[in-house]
Amino acid sequence: MKMITLAAALVAATGFAGTAQADKLDDIIASGTLRCAVVLDFPPMGMRDANNEPIGFDVDYCNDLAKALGVKAEIVETPFPERIPALMSGRVDVGVASTSDTLERAKTVGFSVPYFAFEMAVTANEKSGIKSFDDMKGHTVGATAGTFEAIALEKQVQEWGTGEFRPYQTQADVFLALSQGQIDATVSTSTVAMANVKTGNFPGISVVGKAPFDTDYVALFTNRDEYGLINYLNLFVNQQVRTGRYADLYEKWVGGALPSLTVPNAYR
Amino acid sequence: MFHTALTSADLIFLAKGAGMTILVTAISVFIGTLLGIVFGVLRGQLGPIWFAPVTFVLDIFRSVPLLIQLVLANAFVGMVLRLHISGLTVACMVLSLYTAAYCTEIVRGGIHAVPATTRRAARSLGMSWLQDMRYIVLPLATRIALPSWIGLALGVMKDSALVYVVQVTELLKSTQILITRLQEPLFLLLICGAFYFIISFPLARFGGYLEKRWSND
Repeated sequence: MKMITLAAALVAATGFAGTAQADKLDDIIASGTLRCAVVLDFPPMGMRDANNEPIGFDVDYCNDLAKALGVKAEIVETPFPERIPALMSGRVDVGVASTSDTLERAKTVGFSVPYFAFEMAVTANEKSGIKSFDDMKGHTVGATAGTFEAIALEKQVQEWGTGEFRPYQTQADVFLALSQGQIDATVSTSTVAMANVKTGNFPGISVVGKAPFDTDYVALFTNRDEYGLINYLNLFVNQQVRTGRYADLYEKWVGGALPSLTVPNAYR
Repeated sequence: MFHTALTSADLIFLAKGAGMTILVTAISVFIGTLLGIVFGVLRGQLGPIWFAPVTFVLDIFRSVPLLIQLVLANAFVGMVLRLHISGLTVACMVLSLYTAAYCTEIVRGGIHAVPATTRRAARSLGMSWLQDMRYIVLPLATRIALPSWIGLALGVMKDSALVYVVQVTELLKSTQILITRLQEPLFLLLICGAFYFIISFPLARFGGYLEKRWSND
């Protein structure tokens, strides 16, 4: 009787083992397509060119990942709030969507190590003579009202005790005011700063340095139980930095000083 | 004066979106109508009690908003069935059933509107059920049901704008992509509206023409 039970258990176990699915990494390679969630209204990370084809840092990053896996890349456009639902409903395999690796999100999805960092940059009017973050002391500065950097900058101005902070409605207003000399400097994410300087719509301004505000690290993500794939993504991010591809892509889409992807004095 | 960054490539992009809208609508209306006819005839033959389970399912398709149906169907296919089927297939399946649910009622109403006395007369002349359906019910019911059916087809065409949630780049989604890039919402929506009009106007006119022609003979 015991033998029969044991045999039955063995058969059942083999059956389960047989039905256990190959993991997602195998599935992607077998299907020949890597489906990436990318946000396409977030230049320069994701946008569309004149032919309405997806381009941007994230699009290139997805293509690189697909190339490394030896499969074809498929860009699935997902608006910001749709990124994680798209993964959960199985429409995409990986998110390459400038997603901040918050602990709250990590309860739902599994993050790789950061593959990009949004640093805060100081953009100044060339006539003001501001060359660094500390030079802003005593000057009139501004930022888009309500954003993280505006709140931090306003606090900093109060701490300095001199100078003035002016809030603006939109990012474009800030750069227009900066170009016209209404304010001497502003703080914004480096991508936004570089993109606005590059447009040439705002003469006389340049990015002069980094602001010591919190850096927004963003990571690739996939289902949290897919350790095989997450390991692969971690190594892939590492390889991108090691081979200089990260620096190339940063130069191509953003430009300026390359942000570090590691946090000082911490693992991972 | 009037300036726009819209290029001819963008217009072709919009036209492709319009083509997708037509494709989704054509497939869904075709399959939906076939299913609707089958269900509508069955409903008449089986009676409301035996047909109740199907009516219940079709009522679900009629009462749950299409957007939610699409999202749920897509999630079901991806998460539960774990199938890698395209968004277009999911969109066509959902829209077909949605069309079928409405078309069933239209067909049922059409058949119901054929006077029972006429049908009884046909049967007493020795016609079989099939002959009765083919030569008596079909011509009469079609005339009655046509206006509602045209309305349904036009409605489905406009409702197909919702299939963007399953990654189908149809006309409205194409327009939104261009709006994001060019930042000219009103002008682009105007063009989008014109495209929709160009698609639906011939269908509406064709329906009007058929109605007029059939009402005379």
